[in-house]
Amino acid sequence: MRSTPAPIERLITALKRLPGIGEKSATRLSFYLLGAPDAVVHELGEAIDRLKHEIVLCQICFDLTDESPCAICRDDRRDPSAICVVEEPADLVAIERSRAFRGRYHVLGGTLSPIDGVGPDELRIAELEARLKSGEVGEVILATNPNAEGDATAHHISTRLAESGVKCSRIACGMPLGGDLEYADHVTIGRSMENRGPI
Amino acid sequence: MASIRTEALILRSVDFGESDRILHLLVPEIGRLPVIAKGARRSVRRFSGTLDLFNHVKIQVDIRRPNSLARLDQASLIDPFLAMRSESARFALGCYLLELFDRLAPERGVRTDMQRLFSFALGALRMVAERAPDLRLRTLIELRALDALGLRPEFSRCVRCGSAPAGRSPIGFHVAEGGVVCDPCCAQIDGIQRIHPGTLRALEQGLRLDFDRLDRLVMSGPSLAEAHQLLTRFQRFHLGVELRSAPYLDRVLRSPAAG
Repeated sequence: MRSTPAPIERLITALKRLPGIGEKSATRLSFYLLGAPDAVVHELGEAIDRLKHEIVLCQICFDLTDESPCAICRDDRRDPSAICVVEEPADLVAIERSRAFRGRYHVLGGTLSPIDGVGPDELRIAELEARLKSGEVGEVILATNPNAEGDATAHHISTRLAESGVKCSRIACGMPLGGDLEYADHVTIGRSMENRGPI
Repeated sequence: MASIRTEALILRSVDFGESDRILHLLVPEIGRLPVIAKGARRSVRRFSGTLDLFNHVKIQVDIRRPNSLARLDQASLIDPFLAMRSESARFALGCYLLELFDRLAPERGVRTDMQRLFSFALGALRMVAERAPDLRLRTLIELRALDALGLRPEFSRCVRCGSAPAGRSPIGFHVAEGGVVCDPCCAQIDGIQRIHPGTLRALEQGLRLDFDRLDRLVMSGPSLAEAHQLLTRFQRFHLGVELRSAPYLDRVLRSPAAG
């Protein structure tokens, strides 16, 4: 059987490490790149290289950015009195997409997960406390995911911030838009009833 | 075995690939069962709200193929133990118990033992969820958990000769041998730890009392500290490693505000 040349094999192996890319997709992409114009291949290579060199963490909110402080932290039109606390940069992107929040963010870098050895010191909670010392912040919105670790993390942060005098709120939790009550679990329905609002 | 419907406790949940999730379940008929929940992260409807840590669920699992991961086909929630999420000490002790079960529960164990273990696990989580955990509760629940997992320490008879150690002076305990060792046998063995008889009596009672009456067991501060140290050594020896959730639990129980 004819073996694949080493450079192609190396690229297939590298591409297979990417999420959602299996052996077949990696092979297809490798052969596409082999036949693509040099400019396309160089542009891709350079973009990947620059990604690692140019992306840094914002020194204020710890979001991914190419310039620190990030665009949101630099934006004077954003409300500095509200900070939305999220687990990861992807969560920040999701909230920004909703256009429902005009304050600023704080990216924790995960949630409490004792089973994975992640405690409060592994998260950016002390940095959040430091941000509140400016006295500018009036509300911290805890937007960690509504699962066991996310809820425990939100509870932990609200306990730690209790003495700061800053209002702590938790994002609402309940039925999703387009959801079906018949198929929802009883805890979700219970929370929806608890968090019901006027119409 | 093929497709089975049963109950399960979710011990661990790990994202896998683009949209799947691998779960470690404790199942009454089997013991520890790793399964894959296909599309669990993407589908809002299929496993909505059911595949979270601590969740007690009804499941349908396909375990037809012997050498591959079982596939979770359906899950519905029975009890999410929500109280675990709203207090640091409960969350820490709950995670510690889940990790203990995940590391020590056998896969495909003896059915009656696994049913007992499953009942114990639910009872232990219920107890943690209803109380404000402290070092005493942790020590006693850990002792009962080791017993349910088949690692019951022997506190009343010498593990070598079967005699009952007597007297008021500290009694030898050998972690590797799994229990107390009388003075004549102590002379033939290294690595003996001396334990106060009162501590051993309290631990023995902790094994014998009905689970829901554990609250009535009173232990003095020094006795509790000695029991905790003994069980920690015992558990680490038999597990081979320190549980990853142990440092956080120690920290929370030492200083709840810091947790």
